[in-house]
Amino acid sequence: MKTPKPPEAGASKESTRRRFLLTTGTTTVVAGVVGFLGATARFLFPNVLYEPPSRFPVGGPDDFPTGSPTFLPNQRLFVFNSDAGFYSISSICTHLGCNVNHVASGGFACPCHGSQFDANGQVIHGPAPRPLAWFGLSLSSRGELVVDQRRIVEPDYRFKV
Amino acid sequence: MRAPQTAPPWMHLAFAALSVAFLAIFSWVLLQESFAEWRTRQAEFLAIERQVKDPHALALAAHVGGIRQIWLRDIDLVDRCTTCHLGTDDPDFQVAKQPFATHSGTWLTTHPPDRFGCTICHGGQGEATNYRDAAHQPVAYWPEPVRPRELIEANCGVCHRERAPAEAFLLAEGRQRIAAAGCVACHDLPGFSPDEIQAPHLSSVGYKVRPDWVRSWLADPKTYLPRARMPNFRLQKQEIEDLNAFLLSQRETAPLDSSGVDWSKADSEHGRILFGEARCLSCHMVDDRGGLLGPDLSRVGSKVRRDWLFSFIKDPMHDQPDTRMLRYRFSDVEIRDVVAYLTTDLVDPEAPENAPAAGYLDPKQVAAGRDTFVKHGCFSCHRFNGLTPTAKIGPSLMAVGNRVVERPEFGSMNVVPTLANWLYLKLRQPDSLAEESRMPTFNFTEPEVASVVVALLSVRKADFPASRVTRAPSSTPYTPQGAFGALVSRYRCLSCHQVGGSGGTLSTVPLDRIGSQLQRSYLVSYLQNPSAVRVSIEERMPFFHMTPQEAATIADYVGAVLVDDSLERPFTADTEAARRGEQLYRRLGCHGCHIIGASGGYVGPDLSDTGHRLEAGWIERWLAAPQTWKPATLQPDYGLKAEDLRDLTAYLMTLTTSARGRNP
Amino acid sequence: MTARAYVRQTLETGWRTVFRVGWPRTDKDRSAAMISSFFLHVHSAKVKPNSLRAAYTFGLGLISFYMLLVLTVTGVALMLYYTPSPDAAYRSMKDLQFVVTFGPVLRNMHRWAAHAMVVAVFLHMCRVFFTGGYKLPRQFNWVVGVGLLIMTLGLSFTGYLLPWDQLAFWAITVGSNIAGYAPGVGESAKYLLLGGTVIGSGALLRFYVLHCVILPVAVVTLVAVHFFRVRKDGLSAPPGRAPATTAEAAKGGFPPSARSYGLMALADRPAQPVVESDPDEEVMAWPHLLYRELLLLLAVVVALHVVALLFNAPLEELANPTRTPNPAKAPWYFLGLQELVHYSAFIGGVLVPGLIVLALVLVPYLDPSPRGVGVWFSPERRRANWIFGVFAVVTIVLTLIGTLFRGPNWAWVWPWTG
Repeated sequence: MKTPKPPEAGASKESTRRRFLLTTGTTTVVAGVVGFLGATARFLFPNVLYEPPSRFPVGGPDDFPTGSPTFLPNQRLFVFNSDAGFYSISSICTHLGCNVNHVASGGFACPCHGSQFDANGQVIHGPAPRPLAWFGLSLSSRGELVVDQRRIVEPDYRFKV
Repeated sequence: MRAPQTAPPWMHLAFAALSVAFLAIFSWVLLQESFAEWRTRQAEFLAIERQVKDPHALALAAHVGGIRQIWLRDIDLVDRCTTCHLGTDDPDFQVAKQPFATHSGTWLTTHPPDRFGCTICHGGQGEATNYRDAAHQPVAYWPEPVRPRELIEANCGVCHRERAPAEAFLLAEGRQRIAAAGCVACHDLPGFSPDEIQAPHLSSVGYKVRPDWVRSWLADPKTYLPRARMPNFRLQKQEIEDLNAFLLSQRETAPLDSSGVDWSKADSEHGRILFGEARCLSCHMVDDRGGLLGPDLSRVGSKVRRDWLFSFIKDPMHDQPDTRMLRYRFSDVEIRDVVAYLTTDLVDPEAPENAPAAGYLDPKQVAAGRDTFVKHGCFSCHRFNGLTPTAKIGPSLMAVGNRVVERPEFGSMNVVPTLANWLYLKLRQPDSLAEESRMPTFNFTEPEVASVVVALLSVRKADFPASRVTRAPSSTPYTPQGAFGALVSRYRCLSCHQVGGSGGTLSTVPLDRIGSQLQRSYLVSYLQNPSAVRVSIEERMPFFHMTPQEAATIADYVGAVLVDDSLERPFTADTEAARRGEQLYRRLGCHGCHIIGASGGYVGPDLSDTGHRLEAGWIERWLAAPQTWKPATLQPDYGLKAEDLRDLTAYLMTLTTSARGRNP
Repeated sequence: MTARAYVRQTLETGWRTVFRVGWPRTDKDRSAAMISSFFLHVHSAKVKPNSLRAAYTFGLGLISFYMLLVLTVTGVALMLYYTPSPDAAYRSMKDLQFVVTFGPVLRNMHRWAAHAMVVAVFLHMCRVFFTGGYKLPRQFNWVVGVGLLIMTLGLSFTGYLLPWDQLAFWAITVGSNIAGYAPGVGESAKYLLLGGTVIGSGALLRFYVLHCVILPVAVVTLVAVHFFRVRKDGLSAPPGRAPATTAEAAKGGFPPSARSYGLMALADRPAQPVVESDPDEEVMAWPHLLYRELLLLLAVVVALHVVALLFNAPLEELANPTRTPNPAKAPWYFLGLQELVHYSAFIGGVLVPGLIVLALVLVPYLDPSPRGVGVWFSPERRRANWIFGVFAVVTIVLTLIGTLFRGPNWAWVWPWTG
């Protein structure tokens, strides 16, 4: 093709063909790029985590004295051994994630911004927007209490061994 | 000439074609990801789960999805096996096919996966998420494939470093075999000590053995003794002659003088009786009967010289200071008869006539023999004055389980180039592999090699923290001093008995607290005249001809030192309690296993003379918890109450009738 | 004005603030589109026909650049899952291989693109030599190109260690020891490169920083200079109807511009693009050059995908400093040198590579004749072509020998008997 063809009235065979090829090419390239972006997004989500498990044994039932709660700093939670059974409350303040302290009166107090919680972890006052989380418990085959942080339970939860 | 304004048509075609190709290839990438092998497996598992579980259980089942991994932070181990092996901890999948089946046995309870992962025990590439790369079969660039059943115990041994871990039978056997074969003489191996090697001292061997025997022994020890411990060094004929000359020239300590012995009066039949009475068969084997502690004596008459044997029985330590043979109080006449029995009755009918060894007077041949002796590392096992090994002759095996083998090492052999195969071939036939080998042939049978391979594979340089490793309690050798010590040495008590974890294993009775278990008078009489208290086993305690003086010395020491204060308690006879105890004895069915007088079972010891034999405190504590004293005992733990224990003890202490006829 | 028309007008205006020219339909618009775009301005509005002739350039420079692009994109992605420490690096590889979505494809593509880039850069250099592209006024750009070749090798070499497997560890051991032979400074250079005397965590971290930060920044900078000079000097072309004044050239000065572009008329003369050929023979970069570049990009991406799907990047056992594989080979592009080191450490490790780099840098100044530009294997410069041809062939043959014909203990093997 040495010279440009003058534009002709109506779609010549060649320009139809050209338009088809261009449309096909552009569409598929756009589809491919969209797919590439989606794949990139998927790639960014890790499939395995090198983190402590969210379900972990915390020790035998006898390790937890009745009355005062046991604070496990590494797992950031309290384990209570009451007459009605065991229960576990998160020590992570729902405000900005500081560790709350158990106070003598039976509730919890956050040292960072003064949130206060009652014995069940319900907010009494302070900036905390939600009550402290309660975790489900179970017993492992070796007779250890197992905390499952993915299983959030209601404050009437008690686990009988 | 001006170029056209628009692109030529072929470019549009190329554009369309390349775009479509791009989309197609990219879709291929996406499809490959979404049909990953593990996704297919998980879908299969869910289908099976729907079949085996009822709807209620199904609702409770933890739903799988995505890659599962066990991360053991302390050893930085990642196992993703459970991505596909989804039913391992679920008893509902007992009959499911792999990879979904429930794990066999109680292993997951003793080794919970969240603490042990999978590959610590099973091997394989835990990081992989497909069958091939997980190294279920050997793959390139992953040194440890999944252990097949016959090798899996190798991985037990990585953490369980005690000699014989429970339930790892093959591993335990392999380790015992390594100890027995004396591998540690030539190789460094963790957990084995050169002290375990038993090979005769050769400094005076020239007085001991007959030259023709040396030849046949060196050519192949198995022809003289199928159970020979010494391996076959594949020696050349000339090497054998040189070695023979060298060995026969070794005459450091002459045997004790036997010139006064009148051999013409020797009575080999009397010797045979003495041999039996002294219970020599406890340690020695004759015609496939007897113990394995000492050498097999079936054909000893073709091996040793008569005057040496006389000297040896008279005082074994005279020229063999490390021997485990004990020193009997035989008279010269008795020794003469025993020697006569051994040298005339126990001979190899096919042994060649005793030809004199010519070479040992030729210093050149002796020197050549010495070189051969050094070259083959004979001194690694045989202590030898003047020749002490500076370093082990063989390569160190401290991390043999980590060794990487490559195909060229197998020479022309067409086998999968795995370490297990390499070890197997090396042990079966050391010269079959590509490299030259000085290693002798041990003539292991196939199952023996298999166990040794397992034990060697377990020797790995694993940087596991100490908390993950179990070891045998370290024991310091028990070496008593004084008069008692001299007797222990003379009678070689520790060849068979254990004290403080060290000593032999032939006897089932450890002596740590024997002074609190046996009454002194019984011990004194037993040492002079040992007889079995158990009907079902053969008494193996040798008949030492101990003097009353010696027996008293031992009993005094034992009563003062080898005691356990927790067993000491005052005992007063109480007929009422004894009566209740007798009823309890009947009620518990003790007579099913024990004899009193003339009636009872044959499993446990005869209790007829318990009142004269055992200490009351021991009886009581024993009955309270038999397994704490002897883990493997058959004695049931009845969980008796304190008063029942007292009653039963009181009853047993009333039993004072002498037991069955004592032997001999 | 209806709301609809308002929106439409706003959108149109907004579009025009970004794309000033709109979709160009005339040559004037096309020129304007090229000039007004940040990205397209790297091209001139009109290019010589040689730029379009596949048989002239084989697109090798562009392919090298695309490889760099692909390597940057995949490399940044890989960095998200990589930890440069001996304890974690190999685990990162296994994670990429087994659990990162698209991890294997990304890693494979990065690996093969890295190799392809070394090949493409080398071939590009050969192309430029054989067409006389380094001659006046492009001497300096040739030197920049030599720098880019060395940096490409450096990027590939530093990346080689990062998987921390046996292949990586021992290839870098051998490679860095070759560097150690340089007289006087060799040991110090090696010490500096490894951050120690042996390859350990220090070396891994240094290689990582070199691979991901220092060398990429340097390469991008040099590529910008390289492109800038191409943009200013144009592609080499055979002398046209208005050839450069040879008298000027002989004086070492720059030939006067045959003609400057209209759009550039106001620029100072020395900065003007120098064009040897008749501008009337030139073609519009839009669409001719851009379209070809797009097609080549698509082809490169498709080809890399195919290769990445068919061939896995090698990953051997975890690096083990106590066990040397036999043979231990440097990365393949240094195997020619390793082959020479096999004969003499000094010659192969110092003399030959030093002389090669020096000679390459000096090529345009040792061969000042301006003749024979713009055509392959010009008979006017037969001697130069022969010299360089022998150099290229020897390089390729030595590399092939080191790669394929050397077995355990560096003994000769036939590749088909393995």
